[in-house]
Order: sequence, then structure tokens, then C-alpha cells
Amino acid sequence: MRVVIAEDLALLREGVVALLRENGIEVVAQVEDGPGLLRAIAGHQPDLAIVDVRLPPTFSDEGLRAAIEARRRQPALGVLVLSQYVETAYASELIGENTAGIGYLLKERIGDVRAFLDALARVADGGTVLDRQVVTQLLVSRDSSMDALTSLTARERDVLELMAEGRSNTAIAESLVVTPGAVEKHITNIFSKLDLPACDDDHRRVLAVLAYLRVAG
Amino acid sequence: MGERAHIADAPVSHPGAARRWMPTLAAGLTLREYARSLVRRLAALTAVLLTAIWALDGQGYFWPAWAWLGLIVPVLLDFTARWAWRHPRGAVRRVACVWALVSVAAVILLMTWLLTWLLAGVHEFWPGWALLGLATAGSAYSLIALHDRVLVARGRRALRARIDLLTRTRRQAVDAQAAELRRIERDLHDGAQARLVALTLQLGRAELRAGEESEVRRLIGDAQREAHLAIAELRDLARGIVPPLLADRGLLAAVESLAARYGLGTTVQAETHRSLAPAVESAAYFVIAEALTNTAKHAGAQRSWVHLGDEHRSLLVIVGDDGRGGADPAGSGLAGLRARVEALDGTLSVVSPQAQGTVVEVSIPCGW
Repeated sequence: MRVVIAEDLALLREGVVALLRENGIEVVAQVEDGPGLLRAIAGHQPDLAIVDVRLPPTFSDEGLRAAIEARRRQPALGVLVLSQYVETAYASELIGENTAGIGYLLKERIGDVRAFLDALARVADGGTVLDRQVVTQLLVSRDSSMDALTSLTARERDVLELMAEGRSNTAIAESLVVTPGAVEKHITNIFSKLDLPACDDDHRRVLAVLAYLRVAG
Repeated sequence: MGERAHIADAPVSHPGAARRWMPTLAAGLTLREYARSLVRRLAALTAVLLTAIWALDGQGYFWPAWAWLGLIVPVLLDFTARWAWRHPRGAVRRVACVWALVSVAAVILLMTWLLTWLLAGVHEFWPGWALLGLATAGSAYSLIALHDRVLVARGRRALRARIDLLTRTRRQAVDAQAAELRRIERDLHDGAQARLVALTLQLGRAELRAGEESEVRRLIGDAQREAHLAIAELRDLARGIVPPLLADRGLLAAVESLAARYGLGTTVQAETHRSLAPAVESAAYFVIAEALTNTAKHAGAQRSWVHLGDEHRSLLVIVGDDGRGGADPAGSGLAGLRARVEALDGTLSVVSPQAQGTVVEVSIPCGW
């Protein structure tokens, strides 16, 4: 896998580069701003771009805009956007029409190294990975109006959030320290409560949940 | 005042009155105006008669000039008295009366000198000292009478300058504070929080290398959890200072996201394109957030709306719903925000009659 990284904080950038190299991922370019990212993508034709939302010179949403522009130019490119905070508005802009190969995660998820590497692989493969906070924010905001969502148990919510990250049943079971069978039961409950068509594919599952939350909005 | 003078003089120039040489009460004049008109005409008539007598009497020494002088005094007095009376009551009118008298006296002196020069050949300008005395007396009186007023006016000017200065510096302080808060928010995200993320990354790499050493893995896991808590706390702190979307994209984007988040079907309508100072933006944002929270919690509304617009040189924000109303303007969490709006010389009003919805309206000046 060939990766480009856009991150202005050297400490963090070098940490991520070291982590990726240790795990056999090739980092072909490291850049510090939006225009640099677009140049690097055009020059190196990577499989995946890891992009910080806030980049110089404006430190607002430069990275997000550069990522969207990069996807417009190369629809096959996987983009993982990292941010210090989750804004559902950013998530929906990023996803746009083309949901394949998109990730939006809180920066601190990098700390959970295995899950982070898994997420990278899923995005590079054309999967969708959304931070569990995106789901949390969408759920919190709909509490007052959506009966179906309030009917979810706490554990079902946990499962829903991990599903949004595109994780497999096994990974969800590991993360929540339950058996894969229990996870399957929770997922069946969630899909029936939200009236969603059941499916086993991890990626399509994320999209179903996302579509539901977007329609509910 | 000028209008009254015009009305008093009107009968003289009025064509109907001019046809009859002598005015009548039937012309719609007040008694005072009638008397004034009569005196003027009698004076003029007397002057003409005396001049005619002089002419018929074989001319010689032109004595009617002295009669003219005598006749002109009441007319002058009447004229200056009316001028003095146009001034507002009190010290100013008193000063005007004094100057009216001084000017009548000066005119009499000057005319007397003119007559003595023309008729008796007195070349010396004898009224000089008298005129100087009159002017000095008038000035001295004015100075004493108006002294207080000059002081008050000066005090008022100083006060206005002070208010201007305080308004300006307060606004500067509020703006500087808002800019500083944005800098802190940015520093929290890009400084402390980013360093903690880098720390969790190093811990993660260490965990990968720790292999199956369960004690080491447990310690690293604990350290990571602590770091995650610290990151979450910093994020909440930063969000409380300035929501990231507001800092990144401005008020409209932040409000639209807020409206979508509450799931109330809130419509957002913006008719303002001005660029707002951070202090104004933040105050408006937090008012809208609080109002929408109240709507979601208490109103039971079918419809909810946010309107952003320009009103003169102010930003106008209206947040309304069609819920059950009856919100307490002092207790609905808006009291603290009112102080924030007032610090920007803005106003905040809450109208919430029972069963008729709630409308929160904020106006914040921004044309500075």
C-alpha cells in the first residue's frame, strides 16, 4: 500500500510515518498543506491519503477541502481524514456521492494502533470508516424526535458505533469483550428496530446505517 | 420663533391690509399686534406731518430730525424686545434683554451724534466712551450670567468624550478577548491535544512491541486510557470556548449544523453577508444554541426557525418556535447570554406568551 500524509505537526507526522513503515506500508510523500497534498497525489499516484482537517495557511478546513478536491480528481483514491473533533457536516461533505474509500476518524484513534491499521486497510480497499463519534452525535441529536433510536439499548448503541467504523463482527466482539454470537444478536436487533434490511457485508452495513441516519436528519 | 415674527409682520405686507392704510381688528389681528401696527403707523404719520410743517414753515433749522429720533425709540424698543423674547427663558433671555437695551442705547447715542454733527457741526466723536462703557457692561453681565452654562457645556463635552472612549475601549477589549479565545482554542487543538495524540501513538507502538508481556501491556493500556480522557477533556473545553465549525466556517455554517443536530426541522434563513467580528459571531452563536436547546427541551413545537439579518448597522438574530410559550426571560439560561450581548452594546428580548410560541430576538451592533 502506498500512502501520502498531510499533517502540519511534525511530531505527529513522523510518529505516523514510523508506525506505517514498521508495518510494511510505504509512505511515498509527507506534506504540510493542502496544495502540497494535491501535488503529491498527482505526482505519486498513491492508494491512500491520510489528511488532517486543519492545515496551514488558514488552519480552518483546508485539509478537508483538499481531500474532497483530490477525490474529485481521482475517484479511486482512498482518503482517510483525521480531525481533533467530529463535525457531522464534514462527514457528510466528505462522503458526498461517492462513498467508496472514505474514512473520517478522530485523531486519537491513531493510538489504538491495530484498529487504526485495520481502518487504513479498509479505506484503501474501498470501504467506509466513520468515527463512532459521528454516530454518537447523530444519535444524541435525534434523541428528542426518533423513537426507534431511543429504543436501542446501551450495548446496541456501542455495537452500532463500532459498525460505523466498518469493523467485522469478530473485531466488534473483541473490542466489546463479548462473543461473536452476542454481537450477531445485537446486530439483528438493531436492524429490526431500525427497520433496515439485514446484510452481512461490513461495508454495506455502514452504508445502511449511514443512509438511515441521513434520512432521519 | 421665526414663524411668530412672520405672522406679526404679515398684515403689513398683506395686500388686503395694504389697501386700507389703517389696520382694523377685523383683519384677524390680536389686540397686541393691532396696537403694535397702530403705533408704527402713527409714528410714521407724525414724522411725515412734522416734516411737512417744517417745510411749510419756511424750512431753516431742520428740527424734525430730533422728533424722528424720539419717534424711532419706541419702534426700536419694540423690535429688540421681540428679538430678546425669542430666546429660551432664563439666563439666555436675560442676557438677550440686556443686549437689546444696550443696542437701543447705542443706536440713540450714534443717531444723536450724527444729528449734532450734521446740524450743529460738532466734529468730535463724543459717544466713544459711552459706547465702550455700554459694551463692557453688557459683556460683563453676559459673562456672569452664562458662566454656569459654559461650565456645564464643557462638562457635557468631557462626559461625551469619556463615554466614546469607554465604548470604544470596551469593544476593543471584548474583541481582543474573543480573538484570544480563538487562539486558545486553536492552541488546545493543535498544541496540547496533538501532543497527547502523538503520545498515544508512541504508546500504541510500544504496545505492539511489548508482545505477550501482559503486565507491560496492561500498564501501557492504562496510560493510553488516561491520555484519551485528557484528549476528550481538552476537546470539550475547546468546544465550549468556540465550536470548531464556527471558528472554521463562520456563523451560518455553524448555525445550520446546530439546527440539523437538534432534529427539530428548524429552518435557517440568512440575509446577511457582512463579515462579523469573532465576538459578535460567538455571542450570536451561543444565543441561538441556547434558544434551540430550550425549544427542544420545553417548547413541544411543530415549527422552529432561525433568521439572521441586517438591521441598520447591527446583526439581527431571531430564533422562534410555535410551541407552548411561557418561557421565563430571566430564568431560561438566557440571562447569562444577555450580559454577553449587552457587553457588545446589543439587546436581547424574549417574547413568550402562554400557548403562543417563543421568540428570542437579538440585535448586536457591528458597524464599528
